[in-house]
Amino acid sequence: MRNDTLKITGWELMRNLRNKQYIISLLITPLIMVLFAGLPRLLEKLDKPSVMKLYLIDGAGVAPQLQQMLPKDEFIFEVKQDKQEVEELVYNEKASGYMIIMPDFYETGKLEYHYNKRNLSAFGAVKASITQILKLQRMSSLQIEPSKLAFLNAEAQIDQIAMEKAAAPKDNAMAVSITFMVLVFFLIFTSGSMLMQSALQERRDRMAEIVLSSIKPHHLMQGKILGHLLLGVIQMSFWIALSLPAVVYLLDFPLLQALSETNIPLMLFFGIAGYLLFSTIYVSIGSTMDDLQSAGNTQSMIMMIPMLSLLFITPIIKNPEGTISKFACIFPLTSPMAMITRSAFSNVPITEVGLSAVVLLASIYVFVRIAAKIFRVGMLMYGKTANFSEMMKWLRYKD
Amino acid sequence: MIGLSVDKVCKSYGQKRVVDNVSFSANTGEILGFLGPNGAGKTTTIRMIMGITAPDEGRIEFLADGAKANGIPRQHIGYLPEERGLYKEARVMNILVFLAGLKNVPKQIAQERAWEWLNKFGLQDYAKSKVEELSKGMAQKVQFIGAVLHKPKIVILDEPFSGLDPVSQDLFKQELKTMAAEGTCVILSSHQMNIMEELCDRIFLIHKGKEVFFGNLVDIKQQYGSYKISLEVQSPDMLERLNSLDCIESFCALSHNKASFSLKDGLGLSGFLAAMPKDLAVQEINASRSSLHDIFVKIAVGAEDEK
Repeated sequence: MRNDTLKITGWELMRNLRNKQYIISLLITPLIMVLFAGLPRLLEKLDKPSVMKLYLIDGAGVAPQLQQMLPKDEFIFEVKQDKQEVEELVYNEKASGYMIIMPDFYETGKLEYHYNKRNLSAFGAVKASITQILKLQRMSSLQIEPSKLAFLNAEAQIDQIAMEKAAAPKDNAMAVSITFMVLVFFLIFTSGSMLMQSALQERRDRMAEIVLSSIKPHHLMQGKILGHLLLGVIQMSFWIALSLPAVVYLLDFPLLQALSETNIPLMLFFGIAGYLLFSTIYVSIGSTMDDLQSAGNTQSMIMMIPMLSLLFITPIIKNPEGTISKFACIFPLTSPMAMITRSAFSNVPITEVGLSAVVLLASIYVFVRIAAKIFRVGMLMYGKTANFSEMMKWLRYKD
Repeated sequence: MIGLSVDKVCKSYGQKRVVDNVSFSANTGEILGFLGPNGAGKTTTIRMIMGITAPDEGRIEFLADGAKANGIPRQHIGYLPEERGLYKEARVMNILVFLAGLKNVPKQIAQERAWEWLNKFGLQDYAKSKVEELSKGMAQKVQFIGAVLHKPKIVILDEPFSGLDPVSQDLFKQELKTMAAEGTCVILSSHQMNIMEELCDRIFLIHKGKEVFFGNLVDIKQQYGSYKISLEVQSPDMLERLNSLDCIESFCALSHNKASFSLKDGLGLSGFLAAMPKDLAVQEINASRSSLHDIFVKIAVGAEDEK
């Protein structure tokens, strides 16, 4: 009875929504994410006070231009004449180093950079600026007018125009799709592992037999899967609600326009179908284990299956219409993530979406059947974690 | 009212046949003792009755008012499995309402009934406690309540008395008798033979997956039980003469003039008295039928070992 599934769903929701661990993870996870996103910037800011001081023995007169091109609070250039004096100063002041620029620098393009402290990013900035000065000076020596210099120096501006309007990749929609893909990944791993723990707990707490005397095993399994999907959706919705004001107002992101340009039905279908596919794996694995520590190689490997999609993300982004991308969109263990990613970067033909959906739905059906068999026997096997050959044997048991 | 009929049921796991051609029935208002040594096939049979696993062969039917019920009337069955458990972090009232809800009992009614039962078992102060805060005996009472809260018509209880103190055992026994008197069919599996002997109307005994006996206590004692006799005579030589009789077995001298022994199967008291030497000066004699415990041991260990 569908009602039995909903009873289990309700129980799982009630238990977890009152569970301190769930509530803490609901509140703490966004903080952790903000911390991880903001920490590199914070560190960068904290790192700013370090200033690169360089002495120049400037035979070519590049110092004024160089100081102009680089920020004063990060680079200090001081011109000196004597090498020995400069070396002493560098050691005494613990400066970054000194450069010797000979008068024939504009002809040879060569200079010496003596460093005391190595700072690769600062060196990169100095090198780029000096190269620019060299280039401009050489063009100027060829009697080219300053206005033409700017003209010669300008970069090409490429306007990307899709021949079919629908095929045009839209950056904002792309951001929404990629964010959604990350959320689905998160949903699969967090809700999936909670689901696995729930099945494991049912077995460990010896409740399975009591519950199964009232309802059928597949109703128990379905109820758990649905319950944890809803718990995951509640979690995601809470986090999205928290982050939306920041995205819209602080980052000035045109959310409504982005949503209108995104293929939401496709994303929802593949997101939910992906969760259902992997949740059947997690719930059946949970029913074969006595505790998380006793997970054998089989269980550990199966738990990593959703990670397969990660292998395909870069090839899909680089070449959405390539063979690898097309394969990943059909193969059921990767198609949910692959299709969401691919749809962000190209307009996937409807026939390919349809084929992928059919294969995915058929796979979910097969996975549910297999998971139900394992779940049915696994839940009643107390006191031991099953191995692969036992699970294979269970599949042959008559219901 | 609902009764149960198990007809020629078989179940195998791989090559191993764990239940082999088992048949028995349980009527409304009856307490049926379901006995067997460990690994005899009791749990598998019970799981098949509950529909948790399906039999390979045979039929399990529920009879409602004499007519065959459609499928397994799960909402009318209460089950207390041997492997005990409750969600450890859940609160007592919540878990009882959840279990009753699985049997389609509305929340309000479930709460009212749960209070009644908790009061009856002295657990009214623990309704909001977490299961992990309860003692083993308390948790067992909560599980028992969970099995009967929906007023089932068939109750299957696997080792309900293990771990209970004598006061709680008496309380459980009384409740089971009351349920049976009200027409509930009670199937009771336990290794506490004295309680089984006290409560059960009929016994079904299973060993190595096969039916050994099905009938009432008088019949099982007639079929498998013998008389146990202890007596005191005037002098030790009289005990030696007694020991030489063909109709007795398991002779055990308790002192120089006291002994206990069993009569061979099928021999009644009158047969023994007739075989006893007339000049045996018996000071005191006690005769009793073998207990269910003795019969169980005899069957489980095997008649040969017993001898």
